[in-house]
This record gives sequence, structure tokens and C-alpha cells, in this order.
Amino acid sequence: MADGAASQEEVLKGIIGQPTGTSKVVVERGTVQHFADAVLSTSPIYHSPDAAEAAGFDAIPAPLTWPFAMEFSGKFDEIQPNDAPKGNPLMTALGPLMAKGGLILHGEQEFIYHRPVLVGDVLLGEGTITDAYQKESKGRTMTFIVSETKWSDDTTGEPVVTARFNLIHRA
Amino acid sequence: MGEKKLSFDDVKVGDEAPVITHTLTRTDLVKYAGASGDFNPMHHDEVAAQAAGQPSVFGHGMFSMGLLGSALTDYVGVGNVTRYQVRFARQTWPDEVLSSRIVVTGKREKNGKRLVDLAVTLSNAEGEDKLVGEATAALT
Repeated sequence: MADGAASQEEVLKGIIGQPTGTSKVVVERGTVQHFADAVLSTSPIYHSPDAAEAAGFDAIPAPLTWPFAMEFSGKFDEIQPNDAPKGNPLMTALGPLMAKGGLILHGEQEFIYHRPVLVGDVLLGEGTITDAYQKESKGRTMTFIVSETKWSDDTTGEPVVTARFNLIHRA
Repeated sequence: MGEKKLSFDDVKVGDEAPVITHTLTRTDLVKYAGASGDFNPMHHDEVAAQAAGQPSVFGHGMFSMGLLGSALTDYVGVGNVTRYQVRFARQTWPDEVLSSRIVVTGKREKNGKRLVDLAVTLSNAEGEDKLVGEATAALT
């Protein structure tokens, strides 16, 4: 772990590969439906079990960007794994930068889908920092941190979706 | 498991999806905040946003990605997207007219799957890109 004398570069190198935590979420119909409405989808598939079945789904599926939001509504305390890592490597790197000011930006977002997320799913997410680096741009220091969460079906262990996001701190 | 909308054989490189156009409102942002749990005041609190030096509240990047995602699944069918990636190029502002543009850039077969690659963008009426990205769909 970096001490106060460690350079920012060392801090960033040190968080690559570190886990950001494990979480379990339940995918519920009401919240999926609200989310589909909020992203202005007009598809009946997100509302109607019959429409979902007619389209070949075993249950109502969730919109594409749902995995970014699903921890908000479906991460119930009593189902969380007990092996949560101590400390958050994202904050290890960003905390000292934010203390000095600047702006945190969501730079990029990517989802790789192995199968659709379905209402009724219980998903296990394992997060890792996959990259962290700095570069100078127009006289400003930009810090990039790439974080990845692999969501799998908690019952079968099969991969469901991988979510990858890129945070930028602009000094 | 997937909605049948588009067939692989019928798609040609250069084809474009129907455009979704939407004028961004503050209500959209409040609705998205509630549905996603992202209550960063920059997206719903005009007073806080202006105090932070912004001209007004501005849209969640993930609202834009969600809207463009709706245009994407309307075209290729729900359940068929295998990858969806965007870069957040600019902030979005209330009253801006946002339009999707989804263009087929390639067709290929990999591991027995018939894949269609797409370039996806969301831009305003002045032609400024808000999101620039890529997607892949598996079709039959």
C-alpha cells in the first residue's frame, strides 16, 4: 500500500488488478420497468410477461444499460457476500486527487453481454481495477482508471454481462 | 433468446436504423435519477449546478447511453446485442434536441454466430456529438 511519499504513478500502478468488491443483486420487475421507461423505451417487452415470452424470453429482460444501475435497487444487505475487501482501490487513487480539487468525469462505458439480464436473476458481481494511468492534455493532468465488473448467474455460475467503465479525474 | 426484428441476410453495410429524436427535459433527468439511483445534484438541482459554475443542470451520461440503447434495441431487437460501448464526448443540456444515428459498419461470422457491427452516435441539432460508440448484435 502506498504511503504519503509514494508518487501518484506508484499509487496508480499499485491499484491495477486490485478487487473493488463483490456484490449480489436481485433483478426485479418493477424497477426494471421503471428503468425502461426512464430510458424512454417504448418496447412492450420490458412491461409485459406475454410480450417477453412471445419474443422468446423466459422472463422479462432488462434494458442494455441496466447493469450500471442495478446495484441501487437490488443489492439487499442480507444476501451480500461476507468477503468484502477492505478499502476501495478507486478511492485510494482518486481520494487524494479529489481533495486537491478537479473534476471526476465518466469517460467511457462498455457492456459485453453473454446473455440478457432477466427479471428473477440473482447476479454475482466481481469488480477489479483493470488499468490506471495518467497523461497530460492541454496543460492538465488527466488520471484514467478503468474498472471492470463481471456479473455471473449466482445459481449456475455462467457469465451474464461484463461492465467496464473508465473514470477520468481532470485536475 | 431474443426478439426477432432484423435478419442477418437482409442487413447491408451502410444500412441505418430509424432515428430516435428527443428533446431533453428536466423531468427526464429527475425520472432517470429516480430509476438509476444517481442523485448527483448536478443533474436535478438547478441552484447547486449554477453554484458549481454550470449554466444549468445537465444530463446523466448514462441517460444518454440508455436512450441510444433504446434506439439500438428497437433496431436489432431486444436480447441480441452482444456488446455496447460509448465514449461520453459532451454534456447534454435541457431543451437540446438529441438524435440517434446507428449505422451498420460490418457483417461477420465468429464461433458460429452471425454478427453485425454498428457505429452508434447521439448528437444534438447542431451536429455536436454527445456519445460516440460501437455495438455488435448477434442475428439469425
